[in-house]
Amino acid sequence: MPHLTIIGFLFLQWVNVALPNIPRTSDGKPNLNAPLPKTADGKPDLSGIWRNPDGRFLDNLAWNGIEVPFQPWAAALYKERQETLSKDRPSGRCLPHGVPDAMLVPATPFKLIQTQGVTLILFENQGRYRQVFTDGRDLPKEMQPTWLGYSVGRWEGDTFVVDTKGFNDQTWLDDGGHPHSDAYHAIERFHRRDFGHLDLEITIDDPKAYTRPWKVTVPFEFYADMELMESVCENERDTPHMIGK
Amino acid sequence: MLYHGIAALLLAQWVSLPLPNTPRTPDGKPNLAAPAPKMTDGKPDLTGIWRVSDGRYLQNIAADIGEAPFQPWAAALFKERAADLGKGRPSEHCIPHGIPDGMLVRNSPFKLVQTPNVLVVLYEEFNHYRQIFTDGRSLPPETNPSWFGYSIGKWDGDTFVAETVGFNDKSWLDDPGRPHTEELRVTERFRRLDFGRMEIQITFNDSKAFTKPWSATILFHLLPDTELIESICENERDRAHMVGK
Repeated sequence: MPHLTIIGFLFLQWVNVALPNIPRTSDGKPNLNAPLPKTADGKPDLSGIWRNPDGRFLDNLAWNGIEVPFQPWAAALYKERQETLSKDRPSGRCLPHGVPDAMLVPATPFKLIQTQGVTLILFENQGRYRQVFTDGRDLPKEMQPTWLGYSVGRWEGDTFVVDTKGFNDQTWLDDGGHPHSDAYHAIERFHRRDFGHLDLEITIDDPKAYTRPWKVTVPFEFYADMELMESVCENERDTPHMIGK
Repeated sequence: MLYHGIAALLLAQWVSLPLPNTPRTPDGKPNLAAPAPKMTDGKPDLTGIWRVSDGRYLQNIAADIGEAPFQPWAAALFKERAADLGKGRPSEHCIPHGIPDGMLVRNSPFKLVQTPNVLVVLYEEFNHYRQIFTDGRSLPPETNPSWFGYSIGKWDGDTFVAETVGFNDKSWLDDPGRPHTEELRVTERFRRLDFGRMEIQITFNDSKAFTKPWSATILFHLLPDTELIESICENERDRAHMVGK
Protein backbone atom coordinates (compact mmCIF):
# COMPACT_ATOMS: atom_id res chain seq x y z
CA MET A 1 0.00 0.00 0.00
CA PRO A 2 2.53 2.63 -1.06
CA HIS A 3 -0.06 5.45 -1.03
CA LEU A 4 -0.36 5.17 2.73
CA THR A 5 3.26 6.14 3.00
CA ILE A 6 2.60 9.25 0.94
CA ILE A 7 -0.33 10.30 3.09
CA GLY A 8 1.79 9.59 6.15
CA PHE A 9 4.36 12.13 5.12
CA LEU A 10 1.73 14.74 4.41
CA PHE A 11 -0.07 14.35 7.72
CA LEU A 12 2.64 13.63 10.25
CA GLN A 13 2.68 17.12 11.70
CA TRP A 14 0.73 16.75 14.91
CA VAL A 15 0.91 19.74 17.19
CA ASN A 16 2.81 19.21 20.37
CA VAL A 17 0.84 20.26 23.45
CA ALA A 18 2.13 19.44 26.92
CA LEU A 19 -1.01 18.15 28.64
CA PRO A 20 -1.56 18.31 32.40
CA ASN A 21 -2.77 14.76 33.07
CA ILE A 22 0.22 12.87 31.69
CA PRO A 23 2.41 11.03 34.24
CA ARG A 24 6.07 11.83 33.67
CA THR A 25 9.44 10.29 34.36
CA SER A 26 12.06 12.32 36.24
CA ASP A 27 13.35 13.75 32.95
CA GLY A 28 9.89 15.13 32.11
CA LYS A 29 9.04 12.62 29.40
CA PRO A 30 5.63 10.89 29.39
CA ASN A 31 5.79 7.73 31.50
CA LEU A 32 3.97 5.23 29.35
CA ASN A 33 4.51 2.46 31.90
CA ALA A 34 2.70 4.33 34.70
CA PRO A 35 -0.49 2.77 36.09
CA LEU A 36 -3.63 3.28 34.09
CA PRO A 37 -5.88 6.17 35.15
CA LYS A 38 -9.33 5.47 36.59
CA THR A 39 -12.62 7.31 36.42
CA ALA A 40 -14.48 8.40 39.57
CA ASP A 41 -16.41 5.11 39.64
CA GLY A 42 -13.19 3.08 39.73
CA LYS A 43 -13.30 1.86 36.13
CA PRO A 44 -10.26 2.20 33.88
CA ASP A 45 -10.32 5.47 31.95
CA LEU A 46 -9.64 4.72 28.30
CA SER A 47 -9.50 8.40 27.34
CA GLY A 48 -6.55 9.43 25.25
CA ILE A 49 -5.11 9.41 21.76
CA TRP A 50 -4.22 5.92 20.52
CA ARG A 51 -2.39 4.57 17.51
CA ASN A 52 -1.34 1.27 16.08
CA PRO A 53 1.97 2.04 14.38
CA ASP A 54 2.04 -1.31 12.63
CA GLY A 55 0.42 -1.04 9.19
CA ARG A 56 0.24 -4.80 8.85
CA PHE A 57 -3.17 -4.98 10.55
CA LEU A 58 -4.53 -2.39 8.15
CA ASP A 59 -3.21 -4.30 5.15
CA ASN A 60 -4.43 -7.64 6.44
CA LEU A 61 -6.31 -8.03 9.71
CA ALA A 62 -5.24 -11.68 9.77
CA TRP A 63 -1.56 -11.05 8.89
CA ASN A 64 -0.21 -13.00 11.84
CA GLY A 65 -1.39 -16.33 10.57
CA ILE A 66 -4.99 -16.49 11.76
CA GLU A 67 -7.05 -18.80 9.62
CA VAL A 68 -9.96 -16.82 8.25
CA PRO A 69 -13.04 -19.07 7.97
CA PHE A 70 -14.46 -17.59 4.75
CA GLN A 71 -17.77 -18.56 3.27
CA PRO A 72 -17.10 -19.36 -0.42
CA TRP A 73 -18.50 -16.09 -1.83
CA ALA A 74 -16.49 -14.08 0.70
CA ALA A 75 -13.30 -15.94 -0.23
CA ALA A 76 -13.93 -15.20 -3.89
CA LEU A 77 -14.60 -11.52 -3.22
CA TYR A 78 -11.47 -11.22 -1.09
CA LYS A 79 -9.40 -12.84 -3.85
CA GLU A 80 -10.81 -10.41 -6.40
CA ARG A 81 -10.04 -7.41 -4.21
CA GLN A 82 -6.50 -8.69 -3.69
CA GLU A 83 -6.01 -9.16 -7.42
CA THR A 84 -7.18 -5.65 -8.20
CA LEU A 85 -4.95 -4.15 -5.49
CA SER A 86 -7.97 -2.95 -3.53
CA LYS A 87 -8.77 -0.27 -6.08
CA ASP A 88 -12.45 -0.13 -5.05
CA ARG A 89 -11.70 0.44 -1.40
CA PRO A 90 -14.31 2.90 0.01
CA SER A 91 -11.71 5.25 1.45
CA GLY A 92 -10.47 5.78 -2.12
CA ARG A 93 -13.66 7.75 -2.63
CA CYS A 94 -13.59 9.52 0.74
CA LEU A 95 -16.07 7.04 2.15
CA PRO A 96 -15.42 5.81 5.68
CA HIS A 97 -13.07 3.19 6.90
CA GLY A 98 -15.21 0.89 9.04
CA VAL A 99 -14.94 -1.19 12.17
CA PRO A 100 -12.21 -2.02 12.99
CA ASP A 101 -10.07 -0.60 10.18
CA ALA A 102 -10.71 3.09 10.97
CA MET A 103 -8.64 2.44 14.12
CA LEU A 104 -5.86 0.70 12.21
CA VAL A 105 -4.55 3.50 9.98
CA PRO A 106 -1.06 4.24 11.32
CA ALA A 107 -0.95 7.73 9.81
CA THR A 108 -4.14 8.82 11.59
CA PRO A 109 -4.56 8.06 15.30
CA PHE A 110 -7.89 8.14 17.13
CA LYS A 111 -9.03 9.61 20.42
CA LEU A 112 -11.19 7.91 23.03
CA ILE A 113 -13.25 10.21 25.28
CA GLN A 114 -14.95 8.26 28.05
CA THR A 115 -17.92 9.90 29.76
CA GLN A 116 -20.66 8.46 31.93
CA GLY A 117 -23.28 8.07 29.23
CA VAL A 118 -21.20 7.60 26.11
CA THR A 119 -17.66 6.83 25.00
CA LEU A 120 -16.68 8.75 21.89
CA ILE A 121 -14.22 7.50 19.32
CA LEU A 122 -12.92 10.46 17.32
CA PHE A 123 -11.03 9.38 14.23
CA GLU A 124 -8.44 11.68 12.79
CA ASN A 125 -9.01 9.80 9.56
CA GLN A 126 -11.63 11.70 7.53
CA GLY A 127 -12.62 13.54 10.72
CA ARG A 128 -15.36 11.06 11.61
CA TYR A 129 -16.66 9.69 14.91
CA ARG A 130 -18.39 6.75 16.57
CA GLN A 131 -20.55 6.85 19.70
CA VAL A 132 -20.58 3.88 22.08
CA PHE A 133 -23.60 4.33 24.33
CA THR A 134 -23.29 3.37 28.00
CA ASP A 135 -26.48 5.00 29.29
CA GLY A 136 -28.30 1.70 29.56
CA ARG A 137 -30.01 1.73 26.18
CA ASP A 138 -30.16 -1.51 24.20
CA LEU A 139 -29.31 -1.95 20.56
CA PRO A 140 -32.39 -0.85 18.60
CA LYS A 141 -34.55 -3.68 17.28
CA GLU A 142 -34.55 -2.21 13.81
CA MET A 143 -31.65 -0.25 12.42
CA GLN A 144 -30.96 1.55 9.19
CA PRO A 145 -27.76 -0.01 7.84
CA THR A 146 -24.86 2.37 8.39
CA TRP A 147 -21.13 2.55 7.73
CA LEU A 148 -20.11 2.57 11.39
CA GLY A 149 -23.04 0.72 12.94
CA TYR A 150 -24.80 1.29 16.26
CA SER A 151 -22.76 0.54 19.39
CA VAL A 152 -23.49 -0.09 23.06
CA GLY A 153 -20.82 -0.73 25.67
CA ARG A 154 -20.57 -2.32 29.11
CA TRP A 155 -17.84 -3.21 31.59
CA GLU A 156 -16.77 -6.75 32.29
CA GLY A 157 -14.33 -6.25 35.15
CA ASP A 158 -11.62 -3.99 33.74
CA THR A 159 -12.52 -4.68 30.12
CA PHE A 160 -14.83 -2.41 28.12
CA VAL A 161 -16.96 -4.59 25.85
CA VAL A 162 -18.61 -2.99 22.83
CA ASP A 163 -21.31 -4.65 20.75
CA THR A 164 -21.96 -3.15 17.32
CA LYS A 165 -24.61 -4.14 14.80
CA GLY A 166 -26.57 -2.37 12.09
CA PHE A 167 -23.78 -2.23 9.53
CA ASN A 168 -24.24 -1.88 5.81
CA ASP A 169 -22.19 -4.31 3.71
CA GLN A 170 -20.01 -1.65 2.13
CA THR A 171 -17.11 -1.21 4.52
CA TRP A 172 -14.10 -3.48 4.37
CA LEU A 173 -12.58 -4.96 7.52
CA ASP A 174 -9.13 -3.92 6.29
CA ASP A 175 -7.54 -2.33 3.26
CA GLY A 176 -6.80 -5.76 1.85
CA GLY A 177 -10.52 -6.25 1.47
CA HIS A 178 -11.78 -8.83 4.00
CA PRO A 179 -15.50 -8.39 3.43
CA HIS A 180 -18.49 -8.51 5.73
CA SER A 181 -22.24 -8.65 5.23
CA ASP A 182 -25.07 -6.72 6.83
CA ALA A 183 -25.24 -9.53 9.42
CA TYR A 184 -21.88 -8.37 10.81
CA HIS A 185 -21.77 -8.19 14.60
CA ALA A 186 -18.53 -6.71 15.93
CA ILE A 187 -17.54 -7.47 19.51
CA GLU A 188 -14.71 -5.25 20.68
CA ARG A 189 -12.99 -5.79 24.02
CA PHE A 190 -10.84 -2.79 25.05
CA HIS A 191 -8.31 -3.47 27.77
CA ARG A 192 -5.96 -0.70 28.91
CA ARG A 193 -2.92 -2.45 30.34
CA ASP A 194 -1.17 0.63 31.74
CA PHE A 195 -0.93 4.31 30.96
CA GLY A 196 0.62 3.79 27.56
CA HIS A 197 -0.82 0.54 26.22
CA LEU A 198 -4.28 -0.56 25.14
CA ASP A 199 -5.23 -3.92 23.64
CA LEU A 200 -8.28 -4.39 21.47
CA GLU A 201 -9.57 -7.88 20.89
CA ILE A 202 -12.08 -7.78 18.06
CA THR A 203 -14.35 -10.67 17.20
CA ILE A 204 -15.84 -10.81 13.70
CA ASP A 205 -19.20 -12.55 14.05
CA ASP A 206 -20.83 -12.66 10.62
CA PRO A 207 -22.35 -16.02 9.71
CA LYS A 208 -23.20 -14.86 6.18
CA ALA A 209 -19.53 -14.12 5.38
CA TYR A 210 -17.66 -16.48 7.71
CA THR A 211 -18.39 -20.04 8.82
CA ARG A 212 -17.60 -19.19 12.45
CA PRO A 213 -16.61 -16.13 14.49
CA TRP A 214 -12.91 -15.25 14.37
CA LYS A 215 -10.90 -12.78 16.36
CA VAL A 216 -7.77 -10.67 16.31
CA THR A 217 -5.95 -8.75 19.05
CA VAL A 218 -4.48 -5.39 18.05
CA PRO A 219 -2.17 -3.47 20.39
CA PHE A 220 -2.30 0.34 20.54
CA GLU A 221 0.17 2.84 21.97
CA PHE A 222 -0.76 6.06 23.73
CA TYR A 223 0.11 9.19 21.83
CA ALA A 224 1.18 11.58 24.57
CA ASP A 225 1.23 15.38 24.40
CA MET A 226 -0.37 15.47 20.98
CA GLU A 227 -3.67 16.49 19.50
CA LEU A 228 -5.56 15.09 16.55
CA MET A 229 -5.19 17.04 13.38
CA GLU A 230 -8.00 17.84 11.04
CA SER A 231 -8.00 15.46 8.10
CA VAL A 232 -10.89 16.18 5.79
CA CYS A 233 -10.92 13.92 2.76
CA GLU A 234 -11.25 16.01 -0.38
CA ASN A 235 -12.40 13.70 -3.07
CA GLU A 236 -11.10 15.30 -6.19
CA ARG A 237 -7.64 15.72 -4.79
CA ASP A 238 -7.17 12.39 -3.15
CA THR A 239 -8.34 10.14 -5.92
CA PRO A 240 -5.22 10.61 -8.08
CA HIS A 241 -3.11 9.34 -5.19
CA MET A 242 -4.86 6.01 -5.18
CA ILE A 243 -3.14 2.96 -6.50
CA GLY A 244 -4.88 0.08 -8.23
CA LYS A 245 -5.36 -1.61 -11.55
CA MET B 1 -31.93 25.36 -1.73
CA LEU B 2 -34.22 22.69 -2.98
CA TYR B 3 -31.94 19.80 -2.09
CA HIS B 4 -32.28 20.52 1.60
CA GLY B 5 -35.95 19.82 1.22
CA ILE B 6 -35.16 16.49 -0.41
CA ALA B 7 -32.61 15.67 2.26
CA ALA B 8 -35.24 16.39 4.91
CA LEU B 9 -37.56 13.81 3.48
CA LEU B 10 -34.78 11.25 3.36
CA LEU B 11 -33.19 11.97 6.70
CA ALA B 12 -35.85 13.17 9.12
CA GLN B 13 -36.42 9.81 10.74
CA TRP B 14 -34.82 10.24 14.11
CA VAL B 15 -35.48 7.35 16.44
CA SER B 16 -37.64 7.71 19.52
CA LEU B 17 -35.50 6.82 22.49
CA PRO B 18 -36.68 7.74 25.99
CA LEU B 19 -33.52 8.81 27.84
CA PRO B 20 -33.12 8.55 31.63
CA ASN B 21 -31.95 12.14 32.19
CA THR B 22 -34.83 13.86 30.40
CA PRO B 23 -37.01 15.77 32.91
CA ARG B 24 -40.70 15.01 32.38
CA THR B 25 -44.06 16.59 32.96
CA PRO B 26 -46.69 14.52 34.86
CA ASP B 27 -47.95 13.08 31.56
CA GLY B 28 -44.47 11.67 30.80
CA LYS B 29 -43.57 14.12 28.05
CA PRO B 30 -40.16 15.84 28.06
CA ASN B 31 -40.31 19.00 30.16
CA LEU B 32 -38.41 21.42 27.95
CA ALA B 33 -39.06 24.32 30.33
CA ALA B 34 -37.24 22.58 33.20
CA PRO B 35 -34.07 24.29 34.46
CA ALA B 36 -30.80 23.74 32.61
CA PRO B 37 -28.91 20.74 34.03
CA LYS B 38 -25.62 21.32 35.85
CA MET B 39 -22.27 19.55 35.95
CA THR B 40 -20.88 18.42 39.32
CA ASP B 41 -18.76 21.61 39.37
CA GLY B 42 -21.94 23.71 39.20
CA LYS B 43 -21.47 24.87 35.60
CA PRO B 44 -24.35 24.44 33.16
CA ASP B 45 -24.22 21.19 31.20
CA LEU B 46 -24.66 21.92 27.51
CA THR B 47 -24.84 18.20 26.64
CA GLY B 48 -27.70 17.29 24.34
CA ILE B 49 -28.87 17.17 20.75
CA TRP B 50 -29.57 20.65 19.39
CA ARG B 51 -31.25 21.96 16.30
CA VAL B 52 -31.31 25.51 15.02
CA SER B 53 -34.77 26.96 15.49
CA ASP B 54 -34.79 29.14 12.38
CA GLY B 55 -33.45 28.02 9.01
CA ARG B 56 -32.94 31.59 7.81
CA TYR B 57 -29.44 31.85 9.31
CA LEU B 58 -28.14 29.19 6.93
CA GLN B 59 -29.37 31.43 4.12
CA ASN B 60 -28.09 34.65 5.69
CA ILE B 61 -25.83 34.48 8.72
CA ALA B 62 -26.07 38.29 8.86
CA ALA B 63 -29.89 38.22 9.06
CA ASP B 64 -29.87 39.98 12.45
CA ILE B 65 -28.18 43.05 11.00
CA GLY B 66 -29.34 42.86 7.39
CA GLU B 67 -25.94 42.41 5.77
CA ALA B 68 -22.38 41.79 6.85
CA PRO B 69 -20.05 44.83 6.88
CA PHE B 70 -18.05 43.53 3.92
CA GLN B 71 -14.79 44.88 2.64
CA PRO B 72 -15.29 45.69 -1.06
CA TRP B 73 -13.61 42.51 -2.42
CA ALA B 74 -15.68 40.36 -0.05
CA ALA B 75 -18.89 42.08 -1.15
CA ALA B 76 -17.96 41.42 -4.77
CA LEU B 77 -17.14 37.75 -4.12
CA PHE B 78 -20.38 37.27 -2.23
CA LYS B 79 -22.36 38.89 -5.04
CA GLU B 80 -20.75 36.53 -7.53
CA ARG B 81 -21.50 33.42 -5.41
CA ALA B 82 -25.07 34.52 -4.78
CA ALA B 83 -25.57 35.14 -8.51
CA ASP B 84 -24.44 31.54 -9.12
CA LEU B 85 -27.00 30.31 -6.56
CA GLY B 86 -24.25 29.12 -4.26
CA LYS B 87 -22.75 26.77 -6.84
CA GLY B 88 -19.33 25.55 -5.76
CA ARG B 89 -20.32 25.56 -2.11
CA PRO B 90 -17.94 23.25 -0.23
CA SER B 91 -20.70 20.98 1.10
CA GLU B 92 -21.53 20.18 -2.53
CA HIS B 93 -18.24 18.24 -2.60
CA CYS B 94 -18.97 16.51 0.73
CA ILE B 95 -16.65 18.98 2.43
CA PRO B 96 -17.94 20.17 5.79
CA HIS B 97 -20.05 23.14 6.50
CA GLY B 98 -17.81 25.26 8.70
CA ILE B 99 -18.23 27.49 11.69
CA PRO B 100 -20.92 28.47 12.31
CA ASP B 101 -22.92 27.02 9.44
CA GLY B 102 -22.36 23.39 10.45
CA MET B 103 -24.73 24.15 13.33
CA LEU B 104 -27.28 25.92 11.15
CA VAL B 105 -28.51 23.06 8.97
CA ARG B 106 -32.04 22.38 10.21
CA ASN B 107 -32.17 18.86 8.81
CA SER B 108 -28.92 17.86 10.50
CA PRO B 109 -28.89 18.52 14.24
CA PHE B 110 -25.70 18.34 16.30
CA LYS B 111 -24.88 16.89 19.68
CA LEU B 112 -22.81 18.57 22.38
CA VAL B 113 -20.94 16.25 24.76
CA GLN B 114 -19.47 18.22 27.65
CA THR B 115 -16.59 16.78 29.66
CA PRO B 116 -14.17 18.49 32.07
CA ASN B 117 -11.44 18.68 29.41
CA VAL B 118 -13.26 19.17 26.14
CA LEU B 119 -16.62 20.10 24.70
CA VAL B 120 -17.20 17.90 21.67
CA VAL B 121 -19.52 18.92 18.85
CA LEU B 122 -20.80 15.89 16.92
CA TYR B 123 -22.42 16.93 13.67
CA GLU B 124 -24.99 14.59 12.22
CA GLU B 125 -24.07 16.03 8.86
CA PHE B 126 -21.28 14.04 7.21
CA ASN B 127 -20.43 12.41 10.58
CA HIS B 128 -17.87 15.11 11.36
CA TYR B 129 -16.84 16.42 14.77
CA ARG B 130 -15.20 19.43 16.33
CA GLN B 131 -13.35 19.72 19.67
CA ILE B 132 -13.37 22.80 21.95
CA PHE B 133 -10.57 22.27 24.47
CA THR B 134 -11.13 23.26 28.11
CA ASP B 135 -8.08 21.62 29.67
CA GLY B 136 -6.22 24.89 30.05
CA ARG B 137 -4.21 24.78 26.85
CA SER B 138 -3.75 27.99 24.87
CA LEU B 139 -4.42 28.53 21.21
CA PRO B 140 -1.29 27.31 19.40
CA PRO B 141 0.98 30.09 18.10
CA GLU B 142 0.86 28.53 14.65
CA THR B 143 -1.89 26.37 13.21
CA ASN B 144 -2.34 24.60 9.93
CA PRO B 145 -5.29 26.30 8.25
CA SER B 146 -8.27 23.97 8.63
CA TRP B 147 -12.00 23.81 7.97
CA PHE B 148 -13.05 23.82 11.63
CA GLY B 149 -10.13 25.79 13.06
CA TYR B 150 -8.67 25.26 16.53
CA SER B 151 -10.94 26.03 19.48
CA ILE B 152 -10.47 26.60 23.19
CA GLY B 153 -13.24 27.40 25.66
CA LYS B 154 -13.74 28.84 29.13
CA TRP B 155 -16.64 29.79 31.38
CA ASP B 156 -17.73 33.38 31.89
CA GLY B 157 -20.31 32.92 34.66
CA ASP B 158 -22.97 30.68 33.16
CA THR B 159 -21.86 31.37 29.60
CA PHE B 160 -19.42 29.09 27.77
CA VAL B 161 -17.12 31.16 25.59
CA ALA B 162 -15.29 29.45 22.70
CA GLU B 163 -12.52 31.17 20.73
CA THR B 164 -11.54 29.72 17.37
CA VAL B 165 -8.69 30.61 15.02
CA GLY B 166 -6.71 28.77 12.36
CA PHE B 167 -9.34 28.64 9.64
CA ASN B 168 -8.60 28.12 5.99
CA ASP B 169 -10.30 30.62 3.67
CA LYS B 170 -12.32 27.99 1.84
CA SER B 171 -15.32 27.47 4.12
CA TRP B 172 -18.33 29.73 3.64
CA LEU B 173 -20.11 31.38 6.57
CA ASP B 174 -23.48 30.39 5.10
CA ASP B 175 -24.89 28.61 2.06
CA PRO B 176 -25.14 31.60 -0.30
CA GLY B 177 -21.43 32.18 0.30
CA ARG B 178 -20.58 34.99 2.71
CA PRO B 179 -16.78 34.70 2.66
CA HIS B 180 -14.01 35.06 5.22
CA THR B 181 -10.22 34.93 5.20
CA GLU B 182 -7.63 33.01 7.22
CA GLU B 183 -7.64 35.96 9.62
CA LEU B 184 -11.08 34.97 10.88
CA ARG B 185 -11.47 34.71 14.63
CA VAL B 186 -14.83 33.45 15.86
CA THR B 187 -16.10 33.98 19.40
CA GLU B 188 -19.08 31.84 20.34
CA ARG B 189 -20.99 32.48 23.57
CA PHE B 190 -23.15 29.44 24.46
CA ARG B 191 -25.91 30.04 27.00
CA ARG B 192 -28.37 27.27 27.94
CA LEU B 193 -31.55 29.13 28.82
CA ASP B 194 -33.39 26.09 30.20
CA PHE B 195 -33.57 22.37 29.50
CA GLY B 196 -34.97 22.86 26.03
CA ARG B 197 -33.34 26.04 24.71
CA MET B 198 -29.83 27.33 24.05
CA GLU B 199 -28.70 30.61 22.59
CA ILE B 200 -25.36 31.12 20.86
CA GLN B 201 -24.02 34.58 20.13
CA ILE B 202 -21.46 34.32 17.35
CA THR B 203 -19.04 37.19 16.70
CA PHE B 204 -16.95 37.36 13.53
CA ASN B 205 -13.66 39.19 13.69
CA ASP B 206 -11.87 39.29 10.34
CA SER B 207 -10.50 42.69 9.39
CA LYS B 208 -9.48 41.49 5.92
CA ALA B 209 -13.05 40.55 5.04
CA PHE B 210 -15.09 42.92 7.21
CA THR B 211 -14.79 46.58 8.15
CA LYS B 212 -15.70 45.80 11.79
CA PRO B 213 -16.58 42.83 14.01
CA TRP B 214 -20.22 41.76 13.84
CA SER B 215 -22.48 39.23 15.51
CA ALA B 216 -25.45 36.94 15.12
CA THR B 217 -27.53 35.63 18.05
CA ILE B 218 -29.16 32.32 17.24
CA LEU B 219 -31.63 30.16 19.16
CA PHE B 220 -31.44 26.36 19.27
CA HIS B 221 -33.96 23.84 20.56
CA LEU B 222 -33.17 20.54 22.25
CA LEU B 223 -34.32 17.41 20.44
CA PRO B 224 -35.25 15.20 23.42
CA ASP B 225 -35.33 11.41 23.56
CA THR B 226 -33.62 10.76 20.27
CA GLU B 227 -30.22 10.08 18.75
CA LEU B 228 -28.20 11.37 15.83
CA ILE B 229 -28.38 9.24 12.73
CA GLU B 230 -25.40 8.55 10.53
CA SER B 231 -25.26 10.78 7.49
CA ILE B 232 -22.32 10.06 5.22
CA CYS B 233 -22.01 12.28 2.18
CA GLU B 234 -21.45 10.11 -0.86
CA ASN B 235 -20.07 12.41 -3.45
CA GLU B 236 -21.17 10.71 -6.59
CA ARG B 237 -24.73 10.36 -5.44
CA ASP B 238 -25.35 13.68 -3.80
CA ARG B 239 -23.98 15.92 -6.47
CA ALA B 240 -26.92 15.13 -8.69
CA HIS B 241 -29.19 16.76 -6.12
CA MET B 242 -27.34 20.06 -6.20
CA VAL B 243 -28.96 23.23 -7.42
CA GLY B 244 -26.98 25.88 -9.24
CA LYS B 245 -26.27 27.31 -12.64
